[in-house]
Amino acid sequence: MFLELVQLIVNGLVMGAVIALPALGLTLIFSVLGFINFSIAAQMTIGAFAGWLVNTQLHWPLVPVLVVAFVVAGLLGVASDRVALAPMRKRPSAHMALMVAIVSIALNLALENALRFGFGSGLNSFEMPIARDVVIGEIRIGPQQMHNLGIALVVSFVLAAFFTVTRVGKAMRAVADNPDLARLKGIDPAKLSNLATFIGMGLAGIGGALLAIDTSVDPSTGARLLLIIFSASVVGGLTSLSGAVLGALLVGVAAEVSLLAIPPVYQSAVAFLAILAVLLVRPSGLFAGAAGVRK
Amino acid sequence: MFSNQRRNVLRASAAASLASLSPFAFSQSKEPIRIGILIPLTGATSQFGATMSLAAKLAAEEINAAGGVNGRKVEVIIEDDQSNPEAAVRAARKLIDVDKCVSIGGSYASAVTSAIAPMCWEGKVVLETSSGADSITKLPHQGYVFRTSPTVTLQGTRVGDFAVELGSKRMFFMGPQTPFAQSYIDIISGIMTKSGGAGAGLIYEDKKASYRSEVDQALRFKPDVIVLGGYVPDTAVVLKDLYRAGYEGRRIGYSFGVNQKLMEAVPAEVSEGAYSLVPSAAETATAYKRVVSKLKLAGLDSYSCQVYDHVVMAALALAAAPNAAPNGTTVRDNIRNVTQSAQGKVVDSPADGLKLLASGSSINYDGASGPLEFAENGDVKGVFFRYEQAQKGKLVVTKVA
Repeated sequence: MFLELVQLIVNGLVMGAVIALPALGLTLIFSVLGFINFSIAAQMTIGAFAGWLVNTQLHWPLVPVLVVAFVVAGLLGVASDRVALAPMRKRPSAHMALMVAIVSIALNLALENALRFGFGSGLNSFEMPIARDVVIGEIRIGPQQMHNLGIALVVSFVLAAFFTVTRVGKAMRAVADNPDLARLKGIDPAKLSNLATFIGMGLAGIGGALLAIDTSVDPSTGARLLLIIFSASVVGGLTSLSGAVLGALLVGVAAEVSLLAIPPVYQSAVAFLAILAVLLVRPSGLFAGAAGVRK
Repeated sequence: MFSNQRRNVLRASAAASLASLSPFAFSQSKEPIRIGILIPLTGATSQFGATMSLAAKLAAEEINAAGGVNGRKVEVIIEDDQSNPEAAVRAARKLIDVDKCVSIGGSYASAVTSAIAPMCWEGKVVLETSSGADSITKLPHQGYVFRTSPTVTLQGTRVGDFAVELGSKRMFFMGPQTPFAQSYIDIISGIMTKSGGAGAGLIYEDKKASYRSEVDQALRFKPDVIVLGGYVPDTAVVLKDLYRAGYEGRRIGYSFGVNQKLMEAVPAEVSEGAYSLVPSAAETATAYKRVVSKLKLAGLDSYSCQVYDHVVMAALALAAAPNAAPNGTTVRDNIRNVTQSAQGKVVDSPADGLKLLASGSSINYDGASGPLEFAENGDVKGVFFRYEQAQKGKLVVTKVA
């Protein structure tokens, strides 16, 4: 029973690691731009396709593949944001955040179907050998999954350093905290919003590529996990970067550990119960105000 | 959730416009007879969607080249069900209410068929389906439902018998929530128990990035055969996780999960040795050979052949009753007259069938998917299966029975 629990926690951490990076991206964009960008699912898929192309066509190994996924998803994320979402944001409206979020859902569908049109709806596989799990004291651990968890942690530490040490990072936090005051200090929010979108979508791209290595590359790769990513972000408080990572790990672990009590088919309900419980007890999210863009 | 709303409008409309451009022998001033085809062009069950669409259009072309039905052109209207019951209901509403189709063919995933079946019988439109769930023909469908695919009970029995034949003692079923998952567990476990073994199973959620915990649960049962009841995207992940966990026993899946698409979705070492049970088209039949050569393909799956037959059956049924109103009820009342009439002349093409019907003879159409004989409840009788095995990333036929 104890071993089983440990195994479930390990599996949950692996699940959480995959959704941590996109959740981080979603949180970053929300912190700086003030709306939920649902097109993150499509950018995950774009990252997966970009990585898959250089992996299968040019035979690049994992790390360069992830860099390509980051850059392509980031650039396309900024481009699609400029084309579809930025004009909406300029309209003064009390419901701006909601309207842009809804347009981002439409953008997500448009991008996903563009991929479907270009690549077909078949499933594709990375050219990466699948490693057998190693067993350490009766606990089964996947080397690739641990690798993913490591990459997610490294990326979030780099990001945390970026926000606390660099000038641009601090400026971003200033915009997130009070855009008007930041503008008075000579910070241009438009430039920062592009950078935030680039980094956020790039993270989604890495997450998508890692996810696709474990599952498959197809136009719905990102969309399948959109809701659980959103829930990880909400549990983490939506504006806290470390919260997003912790929220993702928590949602992953909660979903897997719930298997002790409930049949697997109801698993995703656990993610939504987590949102509900967190919002009832702490409406601003578990880790809001801990550390991140908005202190 | 958001992917539920996507529609591959481009493809669907392109398909519809192509269908409407299909050549016909002479100018007909009357409205065409519309036959709806509701198929998965996108989504988890879309592996046969493209060929289903080609097969439906080919059937309409052949019918129209032979002069159409009772002097009217036949038009197939193809809609994408997006592998999603909710989208399927919207598409079926359009086919029934707007297009006034006499029948709806295709209808592949059991969840889709279960959702649209009541709309069909309420709207007095024939539903020709290639879904497997037993529950479908148990619905109070008033004869409007015809199933050309083997039922889940039959497919489950075949998989259970096959597992026993391979020497398996302990079976574990893993599949997503579908109208047939529990039936598979019960049927196959029953067969295992009868032969002195044991069976169990779990039903998982189909959109996960990892099934490690589910695999752990399965392996605790110590199975020597795992039956994969999922569609391609989830089966790919389950197979990878079984491989990672070091499972070396047998794996048997169904054609909707273990097929060529899956071979492309996982590395060869992961799929190596997995079996697949595939309902087989009537590969020796003249109709099958003609369809395959006209589509310029090496071979065609059973489901696409069934869609071809769906269009042909509806057209022939209407042609058999030239004086009746061309509607769904007429199709329902005449399908058996043209597919299983004992005194009818056996035909294997819509052209021959239409010619004989016009001269007042009775016919017995044997299709590309099989001889098409329907039981009282609408289930097809006499189906063949191919047993395939993944070898070095390719599916190889091991036997046909």
